[in-house]
Amino acid sequence: MDVADLVDTSTGRQSRSIYSSEPVYRQELERVFGRCWLFLAHTSQIPQPNDFFRTYMGEDDVIVIRQKDGSVKAFLNTCTHRGNRICRADRGNARSFTCNYHGWSFAPDGALAGVPLENEAYFGELDRSKFGLVPVAQVAEYKGLIFGNFDPAAPSLEDYLGDAKFYLDVWLDALPGGTTLVGETQKMVLNTNWKLPVENVCGDGYHLGWAHAGAMMAVQSMDLSGLSVGNASANLEGGLSVAGLNGHMALTSLDGVSGYAFYPEPKPMLDYLEANRPTAIERLGKLRGEQLWGSQINITIFPNLQFLPGLNWFRVYHPKGPGQIEQWTWAMVENDMPEEIKTTILDNQCLTFGLAGLFDNDDGDNLAACTEQSRGWRTSQMDVYTNMALGRSGAREGFPGDIAAGLVSEHNQRYFYRRWQEHMQASSWSDVPAYNLNSLASREAVDA
Amino acid sequence: MLDVRPQPALHDTVTALTQRLFHEARLLDDERFEEWLELLCEDVSYHMALKSRRFRADRSAPIAVGAGNVFNDNLARLKLRIDRLRSGFVWAEDPPNFVRRVVSNVEVLDADEPNEAVVHSVVVIHRNRIDGQTRLLTAGRTDRWRKGGESWLLAAREIALDHSVLPDSNVNVFF
Repeated sequence: MDVADLVDTSTGRQSRSIYSSEPVYRQELERVFGRCWLFLAHTSQIPQPNDFFRTYMGEDDVIVIRQKDGSVKAFLNTCTHRGNRICRADRGNARSFTCNYHGWSFAPDGALAGVPLENEAYFGELDRSKFGLVPVAQVAEYKGLIFGNFDPAAPSLEDYLGDAKFYLDVWLDALPGGTTLVGETQKMVLNTNWKLPVENVCGDGYHLGWAHAGAMMAVQSMDLSGLSVGNASANLEGGLSVAGLNGHMALTSLDGVSGYAFYPEPKPMLDYLEANRPTAIERLGKLRGEQLWGSQINITIFPNLQFLPGLNWFRVYHPKGPGQIEQWTWAMVENDMPEEIKTTILDNQCLTFGLAGLFDNDDGDNLAACTEQSRGWRTSQMDVYTNMALGRSGAREGFPGDIAAGLVSEHNQRYFYRRWQEHMQASSWSDVPAYNLNSLASREAVDA
Repeated sequence: MLDVRPQPALHDTVTALTQRLFHEARLLDDERFEEWLELLCEDVSYHMALKSRRFRADRSAPIAVGAGNVFNDNLARLKLRIDRLRSGFVWAEDPPNFVRRVVSNVEVLDADEPNEAVVHSVVVIHRNRIDGQTRLLTAGRTDRWRKGGESWLLAAREIALDHSVLPDSNVNVFF
């Protein structure tokens, strides 16, 4: 397998084998999921000491635990004795985690706290300090989002996010109170390679008017960059496809309201935006406060975290082999929102992108069939293309990134596969290129 | 919301409501959605909450704003779902999937209101999908049915889905 042949960014070509090959997948677990910063939990999910949340980093089962001093640690969810899973609950609060195979118990700080028959059978010779839970090498937080990284040599989370923070902050920092993930985790099994849902959301505005035509007919209440049922029209002036940010992406409209275009009754949300826009402008500046806050913005943090202000879903994809994922979704709200607005969001999130969501329920079968059609003897040798609007990108005043016009483009997907290829080709972080194209900071430096 | 005296209903009521559930299942299996809507009260509440796996001894605080929902629908929202299914653009249902509901464990109890009954039941939804694979969705239901003239209409349905991870790529079905 030569990764150089699997993706060609200059033509927008991908080999279908990247969606089905077991060797490619094993290498992804090492070089993508074993190296990148992965979303673990939101601080609001583990507010109190000893609160825990169970998740995955790639296929590795991980427990994230709030410590007594308020910090957060994460550990592999596996007993250091015989390997059994030590935590079987999804979330909760626990003073210790006891393995149900032989009864070894671990404290929330990972220390091995108890071993049955320690004196009688181990003759008091077991060095407990060598058998604590194995920690995730790096854990860090950015404005409420807790990330983990298996690679001690990885760049800091701040550097990893880079100029994507310009877009992230539109949601995480528009209002002083910050954000909360609400509700239990909405979990769904999809028979798709993990890259397909990521590229679908990171840049594919093309599918919206076609794959989701039925849902759009049922609930669309406002214009969204001219996108229409049956892909009869699109307004490329109405949005931006933003990439070139170390694999992170944003796909955004620019009207400041169309985040709520798929609410059948958007008025309470529009009133909320109007009432709070001065605060958002004060905190984010005029450009972001007027054009991005309230817009439909699909944000992707490479490799598997995505969220969409407006429809307010927040999502991570956990790979389960080359052909399957678990998709985990929550609703996210701003803490400064009144209770009835939070309830409105929770309600519309479940109507549009929840387990029975009118939009979400359109995507699964397409992604599964794209995966299945890459598995055959002949199809696995074929290619697929993201070659729309090749070469039509550049700088855009005030916005970081390499930017193409409109929501309908395949510009972002090409950067997603480019970043994937860069990681897959690099044996360590020192070989991974860093780029924040058209960075605002460097432009200011040039202007000065 | 559905507290009741554990009082078994009269035989005629049991028969009528059991038949009602079977009839409802057949309407949904046959995608006769408009006829199904006629079985619902104007103020119907149709709800499925999200759940998580918790240790029995867990005492952590409930989630602010609530657990969240899979369905939290009134009549207007159920109609939106049917509008989408009827749009001709729901590719996951064309060709149609083979869908069959099995309704069982029907228990009919008198409700607080004289013209209402509480009905517990279990539904298993068999879906043989376009990919040839079969998915089974199992749920418990607690309903409140209201007698309007000669006919029993659904006033509230609380659905408990028995899957921590949904084993399918959509929920284009009603429970």
